[in-house]
Amino acid sequence: MATTTATPAARFRALLDDERVIDRPLELGLYGRDGSIAQGSCGLAVLPETTEEVVACVRLAIELGLKIVPRGSGTGLAGGAVPLEGALVIALARMRRILSVDPAVPCALVEPGVLNLDLSEAVRHLGLHYAPDPSSQAACSIGGNVATNAGGPHCLSAGVTSQHVLGLEMVTADAEVLWLGGTAPDPPGYDLRGFAVGGEGTLGVVTKVLVRLMRTPPAVRTMLLDFSSRRAAGAATGAIIAAGVVPAAMEMMDRLMVGAVEQFVHADLPVDAEAVLLVEVDGSPAEVAAQGAVVERVGGEQGARTVRTARDEAERALFWKARKSAFGAVARIAPNYYLHDCVVPRTRLVEVLERIAEIAAERDLIIMNVFHAGDGNLHPLIAFDRRDAAQVARVHAAGKDIIEACVAVGGVLSGEHGIGLEKRDFMPLTFSPADLDAQARARDALDPEGRLNPEKVLPLGSRCGELVLDAGALPEGTWL
Amino acid sequence: MTALRPASAEEAAAALAEATAARATVRLAGGGTRSRAGLPRLADRTLSTAGLRRVVAHEPADLTATVEAGLPALELAALLADRGQCWPQADLRPGSTVGGVLAAAASGRGRLRHGPVRDSLLEVVLATGDGRLVKAGGRTVKGVAGYDIPRLAVGARGTLGLIVQVTLKLWPLPPARGWFAAEGPLAARWELAAGALRGDLLPAAVVLTPGAVHVELAGPSEDVVAPAGMTPAEAPPAPAWPGTALAGVHPPALARALEALERAGLPYEALAGVGVIRVGVEDAAALARVRSIARDAGGHAVVEDGPDELRADPWGPPPAGLEAMRRLRAAFDPAGILNPGDFIGEMAA
Repeated sequence: MATTTATPAARFRALLDDERVIDRPLELGLYGRDGSIAQGSCGLAVLPETTEEVVACVRLAIELGLKIVPRGSGTGLAGGAVPLEGALVIALARMRRILSVDPAVPCALVEPGVLNLDLSEAVRHLGLHYAPDPSSQAACSIGGNVATNAGGPHCLSAGVTSQHVLGLEMVTADAEVLWLGGTAPDPPGYDLRGFAVGGEGTLGVVTKVLVRLMRTPPAVRTMLLDFSSRRAAGAATGAIIAAGVVPAAMEMMDRLMVGAVEQFVHADLPVDAEAVLLVEVDGSPAEVAAQGAVVERVGGEQGARTVRTARDEAERALFWKARKSAFGAVARIAPNYYLHDCVVPRTRLVEVLERIAEIAAERDLIIMNVFHAGDGNLHPLIAFDRRDAAQVARVHAAGKDIIEACVAVGGVLSGEHGIGLEKRDFMPLTFSPADLDAQARARDALDPEGRLNPEKVLPLGSRCGELVLDAGALPEGTWL
Repeated sequence: MTALRPASAEEAAAALAEATAARATVRLAGGGTRSRAGLPRLADRTLSTAGLRRVVAHEPADLTATVEAGLPALELAALLADRGQCWPQADLRPGSTVGGVLAAAASGRGRLRHGPVRDSLLEVVLATGDGRLVKAGGRTVKGVAGYDIPRLAVGARGTLGLIVQVTLKLWPLPPARGWFAAEGPLAARWELAAGALRGDLLPAAVVLTPGAVHVELAGPSEDVVAPAGMTPAEAPPAPAWPGTALAGVHPPALARALEALERAGLPYEALAGVGVIRVGVEDAAALARVRSIARDAGGHAVVEDGPDELRADPWGPPPAGLEAMRRLRAAFDPAGILNPGDFIGEMAA
């Protein structure tokens, strides 16, 4: 076979079935984007179904000198899965088997394409669940969650993805298969498992994930507190934590968002409130009673007008539906939105919210807030119409203002979405050249040739990807 | 041997840069409570963190604290307790420093409920072997900006750099807590441990020792009552053996491993639900026995503490990714001056 003259697509078709090698322009266009505002260019996409096939694809990519971009469900919001300059996309969506569940640990071994919610659904009958629950959980994959070190409302007390990954299998940049971690705690040597989580596809192609499952707590109480000012809601957030309660989740929605969501889910939300806190406590019945009482008392002291407790599981589900459909509801306000992700110290939440309101006024934009208040993880959402070029320019400027406002109070650039392309060039706002150099060296230790997802996470001299708010409608179903 | 005692991060970095230039090896020293680990090797210099013990910031409402590495861990605990807070993942020993606890990844019994100490580190400032000051992570309770260098630093025993300053994620102290215990044969103790793990309140710790099972409950006072078959007790005493092997096993295989340890007549303290077993070992034969038992239970065992004779092979079989570890080590300590004997890659070399 004249492999030297065969096209790359033909070479990959010798490894995988025809239909699992994608080279038609229309489909490549889809693989050139993710849930973010970034537009890239995909040279070829492949859909391996086994670790061995991933190894074979990586080997061939090495031979052909192709850069490799691993991809999960493509719901990421920072451009981490966007290929640049015709890179090869290795899409893990076909690797979606739950390989085993061990209730005695409890843990599950899954392939990276398993969807987050599917995993929790699959183990529900065992009284177990997978704790990280991004709002995109019906669409995002476990592999993608590992890449971004994803969060979600219930990461306030349970911690983000890295605390729920016991082990993983990954194919390295030189096509070696590494098993890192496992159920046995504290294996000797450096914590490569912990380092790999949040690597945004730059450290390896994750092919199996051993996730820790959690026992679904015997009791839960979900409360909706409404406030007549954002300031009061922000203060209540800090006061509840300061009173010694770390709820399972503590989410805030402002008036604009509550209004949009109510029209969408009809949960009888207090649409006249300036801000609403959704607080959930769980644990033993006594813990829930004690913590629920603190939330109610402190909320009242901070000016909550009412505290509405979900009467039953159906109403609790409705509260959460309201929270998690926030981004779908925005379509009623404007055709497009740009979602941000920053974290500030909880004690600075109120002033940053006020600053964001000022930025909205200064830039003449609608900015709505729905976010993980309990950990200070803001998600300002800028609604806009991409057909209005002047408005698009103001959206970009406001995004930069928001990031700078968060950093100014000691915040960090991302709480759970990652850096990807979107925030790459903001990294020097919080890291010195020496810090960034150390990160680059650490990355090179895993991928000395710079083959995996190049030009992501760390800033370059030149910008190769483009962040284009007007490049077309966002893919269906983008959430935080 | 030259003794260095920097009083600032910059002084620490300068001392390490100078040592790298001189190709002089440096032993990093915190409180010295976990120094009998790794390969027994001498260093040309020592660098103590005793001059780095400031509390940079404690934000009670943020549940975070930023402190220098040489701060004694019990001093930090007292400071936090004054504000109703704690660092529940850490193994707090008299004399230990915050930096030492993290460098050794010394998780305490409370890891059942709160996870390993690795999960508590939000931001770290490292002085690398060649004297760069590198900050990674962030001071907020959540953050995914950049690579997770903090997780690499925890448990690296200083071989990636001196931990100079850290920001920790804290937790509220529980309203009530108490230990409960029972005695009996292993099968009965295992049943009590399993029962405690299934209870409505997830215990803070479930500790099995030869002849006894201890359970610590922490939560509202209504929940802190003796589980069926157990009575109020003191916390089990900290193990004190001539040598300690630290094993990690597949948690459901713990009972099997304990049975084998009892047959071998080896003393132990095990954390049920976690899969950690500390075993008293006196010689290489006992260490080999522990390794074999741990391997049969899906795990591994290292020497956590012991005399030089016990540390000819402190880690056992090399882990996956050793080459990547070597490259990481070289990225942070190019001349390899830090803590001779403490890097796992030195074993096979």
